[in-house]
Amino acid sequence: MANMAKLLEVRGLRTSFATAAGLVRAVDGVSWDVHPGETVALVGESGCGKSVSALSVMRLIDPPAGRIEDGAILYKGQDLLSLSEQEMRQVRGREIGMVFQEPMTSLNPVVTIGRQLTEGLELHVKMDSAAARTRAIELLGMVGIPDGERRLSQYPHQFSGGMRQRMMIAMALACRPSLILADEPTTALDVTIQAQILELLRDLSRRFGVAMLIITHNLGVVARYADRVNVMYAGRIIERAAAAALYARPRHPYTLGLLRSVPRLDQPTRERLLPIEGQPPDLTRLPPGCAFAPRCAFRVARCDAEAPSLNEVDGAEHLAACWESSRLAGGARA
Amino acid sequence: MASYIIKRLLAMVPTLFGVAVLIFLLLRVVPGDVVEARYIGQGSQFQSQELMQLERKKLGLDQPLWRQFTSWMGGLLRLDFGLSMWTGAPIIEEIRLRFALSLQLAIMASTVATLLAIPLGILAAMKQDTWIDYAVRVFSIAGLAMPSFWLGILIILVMLIVFRWLPPMVFTPLWVNPWENLAQLIWPALAVGYRYSAVGTRMMRSAMLEVLREDYIRTARAKGLALKLILTRHALKNAILPVLTIISLEFAFLLGGLVVTEQVFNLNGLGMLFVEAIARRDYTLTQALVMLVATTFLLVNFVVDVAYAWIDPRIRYR
Repeated sequence: MANMAKLLEVRGLRTSFATAAGLVRAVDGVSWDVHPGETVALVGESGCGKSVSALSVMRLIDPPAGRIEDGAILYKGQDLLSLSEQEMRQVRGREIGMVFQEPMTSLNPVVTIGRQLTEGLELHVKMDSAAARTRAIELLGMVGIPDGERRLSQYPHQFSGGMRQRMMIAMALACRPSLILADEPTTALDVTIQAQILELLRDLSRRFGVAMLIITHNLGVVARYADRVNVMYAGRIIERAAAAALYARPRHPYTLGLLRSVPRLDQPTRERLLPIEGQPPDLTRLPPGCAFAPRCAFRVARCDAEAPSLNEVDGAEHLAACWESSRLAGGARA
Repeated sequence: MASYIIKRLLAMVPTLFGVAVLIFLLLRVVPGDVVEARYIGQGSQFQSQELMQLERKKLGLDQPLWRQFTSWMGGLLRLDFGLSMWTGAPIIEEIRLRFALSLQLAIMASTVATLLAIPLGILAAMKQDTWIDYAVRVFSIAGLAMPSFWLGILIILVMLIVFRWLPPMVFTPLWVNPWENLAQLIWPALAVGYRYSAVGTRMMRSAMLEVLREDYIRTARAKGLALKLILTRHALKNAILPVLTIISLEFAFLLGGLVVTEQVFNLNGLGMLFVEAIARRDYTLTQALVMLVATTFLLVNFVVDVAYAWIDPRIRYR
C-alpha cells in the first residue's frame, strides 16, 4: 500500500481560530494520507480537530477567525492551499465530495431536492437541465430512494433524517469524485439508520472506487468500515495503524482508554466499562508536554516536560506518539 | 396552495368586522359631533338647541346606535360609503383621487425602500465590519434619523436651485399623464422610501449574516458553487422573509400617515383628509377611510403571506 500513489496527503497542517479566550490551534501539525479507493478514519472526541481537518482540506475554514497557518494539502500531487479560490471551486464537489453531520440543517429548506442535486452537475459536468434531472433520479435510486421523479420536486422537510443523509450522499457522489469526506455522517441518526447509511457509503465507495475519509467518534464504526485509522487528541494525531492492528494492539494510552470505554460484543467477559477520567484539555492552555498526560494512567515525569512525536512502534504502518508505548506493547489490559 | 389562499381570504372578514365595530364606537365615544364641530366656529352656544337637533336628525345622528351601525353596514355591503357628514358630497367622490394618489405614493415609496434595503443589506452583510458595511449602516441610520418631510424640503430646495422645479399645484393622475405623474411623485417617494428603507436594510443585513452561518450554506460551498449563486439561490430566499414583513407593515402606515410629507410636496392625499375628517367629527368619512386603509392593509398582508408560502414550502404544508 505504501508504494501506491497517494490520492490525498496532508502534511504538517496547522489550522487555528482566533477566539475571545485566545488563539486556538484546532489542528496542530497534523499529517495523514488517503490512498485511492481506501477508507481512512479520523477518530477522536468532540473538539479534537477532526472536523476542522476535513474542512481545511476543502478550504472551508472561514476567515478572519479561522486560518490555515501552515502545512500542505496535496491532492493528486497538487497543493490545494496554493490554488486560487476559483480553482478551488473546481475541486469542491467535482474532485472531493463532502457529507456533513447534520442532515436536518445541511440541506437548504427552501430549495427543492432536485435543484440541490442538479446544481453541482450543471456546474461541474456541464450537463443541461434534462440530463442533470435524469442523472439525479439515477443518483437517488443509487442511494436507495425510489420514485426519484416525484422526489425531485419535494423539499427537505418532506424527507426523513435517514433519507436526507442518503440525499447528502447522492449529492456528494453526483460528479463522480475521487474522494469523499464524511464528517460524522451518522451521528445525528437513529442507531438502526446509522448502520444502513454506513453500509450504503461502503457499498458505493467500493462500487465506484471512491476513497473515503470517515470522521467519527464511534470506534465501532471504525472497526467495521475503515482500512486505516488515525486517532486524534487535542489537535494532534496520537496513533495511526491499520484498523485491525489498532484494535488488537493499541499503543497509545488514549486509544486504549477509548477501546475500554466501549462495550464489545466480541468479548464475552462481563468487564466493567472504564471511562477515561478527566476532561478534554482546554486548547487555549495546552500543557508543554503531552496533552493527554493529565488524564493518563501511564504518565511518567518526561510526559509533562516534552511532547512525544508520532513514531513507528510496530513496523512502518503502526505509529504512536507516546513515551511509554512500549509498556503497552504486551497488550496491557490492566 | 389554493385552499391556503381561500382560508386566508376568509380570515379577513371577521377582522374587518372587528375594525368596523371598533371605529364606529370609538368615534362616538370622542366628545362632540359634526354638528357641534360645524357651529363651534360660529359660536355654538348661540345656536339654538332645536336647530342643532334638526341638523342631527338630518344626518341620522338621532337614531339609536344599533340602527346607525346596521345602516352603515348595509351600505358597506353594497360598497356604498354614503355621504360625508361635513360636505354632504358622496364619500366615494371625496376619496377617489386622494386614495389613488396615496396608494401610488405608498407603492412607489415601498418600492424605493425595497430596492434600497435588499441590495444594501446584502452588501453590508457580505462586507461585514469593513468600511463598506459601516458606510451602509451610517447611510441607513441617517435615513431613520432624518424626518422625511425635512429631507423632502431639502429635495425641493435642491430641485428649485438646480432645475428651477417646484412641486406643481395640481396633481396629475397616472392615467391622465403617466410621465408627468411619475415626475411629480418620484421625489416624495424617494424621500419617504429612503427613510423606510433603514429598518429593512438592517433587517436584511442581520438576516443575511444569520443565514450565511447556516449549515446548508456550507453544503452549497462544499459543492463548489460560486458566491453569486450561493447568495441568489441559497441565501436570499431564506433571508428575505423578515424584510418582506417589515416593508409590508410599513406600507400600511405610508397609506394614511404621510400628513406632513403631503404638505411639503403639496400633495392632496389621504393623510390630510384623515386629520380633517377626525377634527370635523365627520363620522361617515372617517369610518370609510379607516375601512379603506384596513382593507388595503389586510390585502397587503395577505399578499405577503402568500409570498411567504410560495418562498418557504414548509409554511404551505403546515
